[in-house]
Amino acid sequence: MTPLVPILVVPTAAGLLCLLLHSRRAMALANGLAFTVTLGLSVWLLLAMRPGPQVVTECNEFFRADALSAWMALLISVVSLGSSIYAGRYFQRDLAAGAVTPGRVKEFYVLTPLFGAGMFLVVLANNLGVMWLALEATALSSVLLVALYNRSTSLEAAWKYVILGSLGLALALFGTVFTYAAAIDQQSAVELPSFNWSHLMSISGQLNPHMIKLAFVFVLVGYGTKAGLAPMHNWLPDAHSEAPSPTSAMLSGVSLKVALYALVRFHILTTASLGTSFSQTLLLVFGVTSMCVAAPFILVQSNLKRLLAYSSLEHVGLICAGIGLNSRITIFGALLHMGYHALAKPVLFFAAGNLHQTCHTLQLRRIGPGMARVLLLTAFCLGLAGVAAVGLPPFGLFFSEILVLSGGFAAGHLTATVLLLVAILASFCGLLYQFARILPGEPKVARRSVPAPLAGAPAMLLLLGALLVFSVWLPAPLLEVIRQATDIIGGAP
Amino acid sequence: MKPLNPEFASQWITLLATGMLVVQLLMVVQRMLLTNIRLFALQSLMLAGIAVIIAFSHAHAAHVYWVAGLTLVGKVFFLPWLLSRQVRRIQMEHEIAPLLNASASMLLCGAFTLLGYIVARPFTSLARLGNNTLGVAVTLLLTGFFLMVNRRKALTQVLALLTVENGVMLAAVALTTYGMPLVVELGIFFDLMVAVMVLGLLVYRIRETFSSMDVSKLSQLKG
Repeated sequence: MTPLVPILVVPTAAGLLCLLLHSRRAMALANGLAFTVTLGLSVWLLLAMRPGPQVVTECNEFFRADALSAWMALLISVVSLGSSIYAGRYFQRDLAAGAVTPGRVKEFYVLTPLFGAGMFLVVLANNLGVMWLALEATALSSVLLVALYNRSTSLEAAWKYVILGSLGLALALFGTVFTYAAAIDQQSAVELPSFNWSHLMSISGQLNPHMIKLAFVFVLVGYGTKAGLAPMHNWLPDAHSEAPSPTSAMLSGVSLKVALYALVRFHILTTASLGTSFSQTLLLVFGVTSMCVAAPFILVQSNLKRLLAYSSLEHVGLICAGIGLNSRITIFGALLHMGYHALAKPVLFFAAGNLHQTCHTLQLRRIGPGMARVLLLTAFCLGLAGVAAVGLPPFGLFFSEILVLSGGFAAGHLTATVLLLVAILASFCGLLYQFARILPGEPKVARRSVPAPLAGAPAMLLLLGALLVFSVWLPAPLLEVIRQATDIIGGAP
Repeated sequence: MKPLNPEFASQWITLLATGMLVVQLLMVVQRMLLTNIRLFALQSLMLAGIAVIIAFSHAHAAHVYWVAGLTLVGKVFFLPWLLSRQVRRIQMEHEIAPLLNASASMLLCGAFTLLGYIVARPFTSLARLGNNTLGVAVTLLLTGFFLMVNRRKALTQVLALLTVENGVMLAAVALTTYGMPLVVELGIFFDLMVAVMVLGLLVYRIRETFSSMDVSKLSQLKG
């Protein structure tokens, strides 16, 4: 008995069940329950990874989970659970304010579990073609979530997202086809070879090197678009800022990393097949570029959620660069960074959602100073999570950034690491400056009393608490899984 | 039934792939929406034809009949029907002036074709079926992108995306002899159907909100 199939079935069933339900409360409950169950199953999967390198397979190796998949599955369930907890009251307030219709809220509760299930399938599928399908499914289920408010701007964001995403995924499919062709070449052309990642890894030495190279370039541009890497990131700030806050949290918190995960699978295969630093150099270049592109936009940003979106771009760039630096310590740092970022970023988006509902704007200038007096709890969480996101101790993002940077210097990638450091410092200044504009000071008179001072408290405090706890204490199974995942990525030269 | 002579089959595939390229170039210069949709259907029909020839001429390729059948049902009949119904309902038959005029776009697409063949050249010995299929596939990809940038009607962008998809499917059969495993092919098919429906829904909402399908009006989000 393994948890792979249940992890996929439970959220899918919850999504379909919400199609039949009418009460908003029941739908919220179904979502919350489903993601609680998947969190339990993910922890189970995590524990199944001990001792030593373990691989869990199911359905004749159709589903396969190693430590890397288990780690990703855990992140997906944590962020999804957090945003489903936050979503209940958030939409209640939105409905009361007339910002959405009940039909749209139902759309949210149907699509969000399907979005989650799609992400689970990405990390649990063994077949690279199925992995592509699952990523496309996440894109299609989330695009309607981005367009949920039906404002002209959200439609624009959704359109950009779906067109750029589909183009990117078409390129990724092209790369996937190339990878398959590289495998076919080495086999008798009579029978169809397996398209499983594990099978391709086992024959990685015999794959056609030219095709694998070309395939990786296509996959990098394709999945890189979905992961928001610069210069294919144009859709990212739009989609993340126009989506409802629970969806922004899922998009920023995990969806980007799930796309990155797909890219990393191809990176592992390419490195194993070519035995060179071809793919890691490309990852490093794209990672550094993303960070350098994000930093100036953070410094001059005028919209709170776009600010957070660019900060996600920066963090994804750091993760990508950490994997590209390809020493054990940087990969470990990058994986750890994924986890901490997945805990911090949703809190920021939840707080931004509260500010949006209170001030009816996301423009930093119009939110104005003094939010710490108006919305104490929200400002507290925004401040703490902001401090975490810029990478200050005692939060874990500080340690993971230090790991990536020191590993980069140790591996001798001087230029790249200095660029990373500069970009981190620039966005550090940018984020702190922007938060200083809205949090301290004297509030505008009109905002002295607010309807929901404790809005979103459970979700924000839960994630923030987890971030604090895991920053100072990593349980042994968790550490073991990250170590194993590091081995999987950095196993080859 | 005796399998086709491989030489003969390969020539037919080459011919049909060239046909797909010609249709693509026609789409680049054609501004009537309905004609564009019919051209796409024709292109998909040629793709289905290639799949039938492969299934017919290879002993172990029976599942490629599935690919052919799905392409026929989905891309030749269903999607064109869906899209042209939307065009009729909107009563918007002309594409507004593209960014580049017809002759300039034709010239550019010629360059793309050249580029496609150059990219594909190292692999022509690997493309076992028809020696131009991979070149055509890459060209379809590039011109599809160009079509998407050059046109401003949301519906034409959907159509451009579909031609890119045709290019990928052509590459799949060209490079791998038999196409992808059946589960992936089926998945891609249903995915495409859902994608077009989602896009159609968005087009509808965009039209309601902006009272236009001109995507160049979608330009409020910056920075």
